[in-house]
Amino acid sequence: MTTPPPTQFNPLAGLVAVIFPGAGHLVLGRPKRAILACVGVMGLFLFGLLIGGIDTIDSSQPYPTKIWFLGESLVGVPTLVVDQINQRSFKAYDLDSGALRNGYPNEHRVNDGTRPVWQALTADQMDSGMGPPMTPALGRLHEIAMLSIVLGGMLNLIVFLDALMPSPERVLNKSKSNKGGA
Amino acid sequence: MVNSLTTLAYTPFVDALAVHEYWYLLIVPMSIFLAIGYKAIRCTHLKDYPREVTVFTIQVLGGLLLLAIAFTIVITLIIPMLAPMPS
Repeated sequence: MTTPPPTQFNPLAGLVAVIFPGAGHLVLGRPKRAILACVGVMGLFLFGLLIGGIDTIDSSQPYPTKIWFLGESLVGVPTLVVDQINQRSFKAYDLDSGALRNGYPNEHRVNDGTRPVWQALTADQMDSGMGPPMTPALGRLHEIAMLSIVLGGMLNLIVFLDALMPSPERVLNKSKSNKGGA
Repeated sequence: MVNSLTTLAYTPFVDALAVHEYWYLLIVPMSIFLAIGYKAIRCTHLKDYPREVTVFTIQVLGGLLLLAIAFTIVITLIIPMLAPMPS
C-alpha cells in the first residue's frame, strides 16, 4: 500500500486561476484540462449572456437581487469587465430621481454634457425604431440566464480550488503516469 | 461606445434572446457546458473524458426530468386530492 503524496499547494496557480478561468491549470502544466475547464466555465458564462443580454450582469441591483451578482463574480475578471461595460455604456441617469438605471422602451440615451441621461422619445422617433441601447431579459429567461452564469461561477470556484490545491489522488495519478491526463 | 440612437434591432450578447417558448430546452446546453468543465478537473484519465462528459450530462438531464415528473405528480394529482379547490 502506497502513501499518497501531500497536497501540493500552489499559490501562483491559484492567483492566475482567479484572473481567467482555466489559467491556473495552464500554470500547473495541464494545458488540455485548462482548455476544457475554460470551455466549460466560459461556455456557461457566454450562454447566459446570449440568453439574457448584457443586463444579466448588473452590480447596481439592490439586495436581494445583488446576491446573484456575487455568484456571477465567481467567474472572475470576465464578469467584472462585462459589468463595467454595462454600467458605463448601457445605463444612464434618470432626470427626475438622479438614479442610474436601464432605459424604458420609450426612452433613448443621450449625453447632457456631463453624464448620460434618459430622454423621452417622440412618437415619430419610436416609429422609426429608436429606443434604449439594449433590451433586458424579463421573467424566466432572466432567471435562466443568471443561473447559467452563476453555475459558471460555481464551476470556476471548483476549478480554482483544484488549481490551488490539487487533491492527493490527482497528484498520485499524475506521478504514476502522464498517459491520459495532461 | 454605444450610439444613443441605437435602434431596437437584436444585438447578440447585448439584447435578450427571444426564446420564451423554448425555455426548457436551454437546460441542455447548460448541462453540457457544466459537464465539460466539471469533468475537465474530475476525470482521472482524459481518454475517458468524452464518455464521462456524456454520462454526466445524461445524469443531470435525467435527474431534472425525474424531478419535473415528481413535481408534476405532486402539483396536478396529490395537492388537488389533499386540498381540493372549490369548483
